[in-house]
Amino acid sequence: MKRYFQGLLFMILFSALFVLAACSPEEAEGPADGSAEDEASEESDELVIYSARNERFVEELIDKFTEDTGIQVSALHGVDPLQVEAEANNVQADIFISNDLGALGYLHGEGYLEGSEPEGIDAIPEQFRSGDNAYFAVSARARGFIYNKEMISEEDLPHSMEDLFDDEWADLPNGYAITRGGNGGMIGNVSALRHEWGDERASEWINAIQDNAAGIYEGHGDIRRAVGAGEHSFGLVNNYYYHQQLLEPSDNDVGFIYPDQEEDEMGAIANAAGIGNVSGGPNDQNAIVFIEWLLEPENQKQFVGESLELLINSDIEADYPEEVQEHIVDFEDLKIQDMTITDLGEHFEGTKELIEESGLDLELR
Amino acid sequence: MRDKKEKKQTNEGRHKDGNLRMRPLPNLFRKVSRRVRGANSPGPVLLIVGLIVALIMTIPIVYVMVQSLFAGTDRWMRLLDERIPGLLWNTLSLTLVVTFLAVVIGVALAWFVVRTDLPGGKVWRWLLALPLVVPPYVGAVAYIIVLGPSGWISSLWDRIGVFGEYQFDIYNFWGVSFVLVMFTYPYVYLIASASLKRMNRNFEEVARSQNMSTNRIFWTINLPFLRPAIGAGAILIALYVLSDFGAIAMMRYVTFTAAIYFQTAGFDTEAASVLSLVLILITVIILWVEGFSKKKSDYHQTSNTFKAPIQLSLGKWKPLVVLFVLSVFTLSVLVPFTVLIYWSFIGIQMGALDSRFFGFVWNSFRLSGTAALMCMLLAIPVVYLKTRYPSIVSSFIDRLSYAGYALPGVIVALGFVFIFNNHLPALYNTFFVLVLAFIVRFLPQAMQSANASLSLVSPRVDEAARSLGYPPWKVLIKVIIPSILPGVLAGGALVFVSSIKELPATLMLRPPGFDTLAVRVYFEATEGIYHLAAPAALLIIIVSVLPLHILLRKY
Repeated sequence: MKRYFQGLLFMILFSALFVLAACSPEEAEGPADGSAEDEASEESDELVIYSARNERFVEELIDKFTEDTGIQVSALHGVDPLQVEAEANNVQADIFISNDLGALGYLHGEGYLEGSEPEGIDAIPEQFRSGDNAYFAVSARARGFIYNKEMISEEDLPHSMEDLFDDEWADLPNGYAITRGGNGGMIGNVSALRHEWGDERASEWINAIQDNAAGIYEGHGDIRRAVGAGEHSFGLVNNYYYHQQLLEPSDNDVGFIYPDQEEDEMGAIANAAGIGNVSGGPNDQNAIVFIEWLLEPENQKQFVGESLELLINSDIEADYPEEVQEHIVDFEDLKIQDMTITDLGEHFEGTKELIEESGLDLELR
Repeated sequence: MRDKKEKKQTNEGRHKDGNLRMRPLPNLFRKVSRRVRGANSPGPVLLIVGLIVALIMTIPIVYVMVQSLFAGTDRWMRLLDERIPGLLWNTLSLTLVVTFLAVVIGVALAWFVVRTDLPGGKVWRWLLALPLVVPPYVGAVAYIIVLGPSGWISSLWDRIGVFGEYQFDIYNFWGVSFVLVMFTYPYVYLIASASLKRMNRNFEEVARSQNMSTNRIFWTINLPFLRPAIGAGAILIALYVLSDFGAIAMMRYVTFTAAIYFQTAGFDTEAASVLSLVLILITVIILWVEGFSKKKSDYHQTSNTFKAPIQLSLGKWKPLVVLFVLSVFTLSVLVPFTVLIYWSFIGIQMGALDSRFFGFVWNSFRLSGTAALMCMLLAIPVVYLKTRYPSIVSSFIDRLSYAGYALPGVIVALGFVFIFNNHLPALYNTFFVLVLAFIVRFLPQAMQSANASLSLVSPRVDEAARSLGYPPWKVLIKVIIPSILPGVLAGGALVFVSSIKELPATLMLRPPGFDTLAVRVYFEATEGIYHLAAPAALLIIIVSVLPLHILLRKY
């Protein structure tokens, strides 16, 4: 024990000296920087994918890609978009797959994504891709409330985001569930509310759900399982989690509310999953190969895969299991909040700050 | 020989008196450099190796500390205002509660096993140490499967149906505490057992002759003697709780370590470094309190009249004590093992042991093996330097090497993320960085083990070899290493096991596509895919069992 202590004391002395002597942290930079530059993007059979999307879905997509093209993929899952930013001087990834178009928009705005003219890009409607095709959406989702039909009936549920301001939801049997504020879906949700209401109201909304929610989870998968099992009456999730819960062998008596669908309301908050082409990645050419491969209808379907999302391109019908098919509401038939994807990107950073102020980004319950 | 020494001492004494001023200057320099480097120089090769090790061990932490100071006042104020108070409360309350409960359970178990006629005596000795091989995050997975809202008990509850709704919630403070206590108490238990075994009977007999009751003897005699053991165990547990990421994150609790992890994963490295500085301070304070309280109460035992302690009869308390020991054993060993074996079985039937799985096994073994090998190689020169050529420099190197061990792995990992991403981009996101992080974390384990072996080898052996003309580094390779090899290998085994279990640093530093068993356990369990989590978890435990006897022998 004494040794650790002395070790630490030494460290502190050491670093105090370091601070006094060296002072500016920039000074330390310099020597090693040049050495990495000479990695020219030669012909390689590798591709590095960063993904913020559920690992299981992406893993299947990647396996199929490797099978079709022979290109070996190294994937890192659960990546925060800011990692791409942090590595801008030392680019690691070729492709960034995100569940949040806002994140892609943000990265594009900061100049970390590069455009191209991939074959087959016309399959994606123009409002769902950036002008230079640096990033584009493949599948869409809408936010809403999954609820346990045995615990609560449809009319007792909130029918708009605004309804959640009400403290009555705290008194619901077993309460309701949300995700941690660091979750991509929640970030998009808050961005949309800021767009609609302004920062102050959005911040109040965060505080309201933070106080009133009975469960705060790391991801949406936990929420759908918890609601299915009756641990909570309802939960704020994306619609495809409802589709997934329908497929469970048990605990599948759940329903879903698309909020804000009335005439004078804002419409459901939508977001999309898509991919971005990271600028200066180590395997540039393979990134294009991947993008063109992904745009083939068959692979777009694979992108949706088990996630049971809706495809952005309604002409390509994704394959859903029987149990789910009857509950699918087509993307075109939903009233969707009018916010373009570039807006999402602009809101991204401010939203993160807003959430951080509330502390919801680190709260689990 | 002795004369020489005394002469040297008087020389040094004079030095202090200031007589040295009258000596010619070159002599002074030689004198000073001698004091710094030690009486006989170990030669440049060993010294350079040692210095490089010390540098590697400290750089990540120093870097994090420096970064945190440059985070800016705004950042600091915001974090101090909004984040740090809550995290402080979360972290300190958990540390206190877990440490207290683990000490109580550990000491009680040690007392029952060593000092009483507990049925099955000897067998318990190692059965109760068994939770040591279960990493707490694996324990957490097991308890989520059993007690979780969709777990076994919950479905049993619903099937019986008479108790109404299943309300039990493990995702709270007490759930985390329970899991951490159950898988950390063996630290206290082992240390307390060892100290109880060494306790001299004479003191108790005196007390007994004064008509003191067993109860009173425990509080006035046994407990003070146990005090250092309890302190050492408590500090290990407190440090563990401060550094744990896996179990805490899985149980949906957020401490400093978890917060640092989440901030780093979100690449908010400034905030992460600020939080790290606070965590470093907490660690230092805990170590300081321990060092301080130890100084205050020194107890000594005379060794020349040692008599082994007597066994006390449990009497009417026997059923209660047996029940206590059995329930601890059930909760900390039987339940997790049963759950994991059950789910592994299901997993294997569902084809969990596919090529992907063996890829993770290979990654884990490659990484842990490399880390163990490197630690063994680096531990030898550092330890040799310290014991054979004691000087300010060599003890400085030795002490620095412990810093990375006492601090949570997330801080070391954060430091490496900084350093390699910003300054050594060519190595960033490579296997090499992971190995380096593991060396910083686990080198002291190899050092302790090598040190124990080396202290058994007489310096005369070195002197003989030196007198035949070998330079120090050659003595080390040709003479010393062969004779301390068992100890070094044991240290390597400990490093291997620690590396296999390691979670947060691996999560933060692994290159794309490089997942280890521990990483898979974490991901599959958080996704609720237990049949994939269990086989990996079980394999980690099986590997950890292997060097358990090394640990047990140590205490």
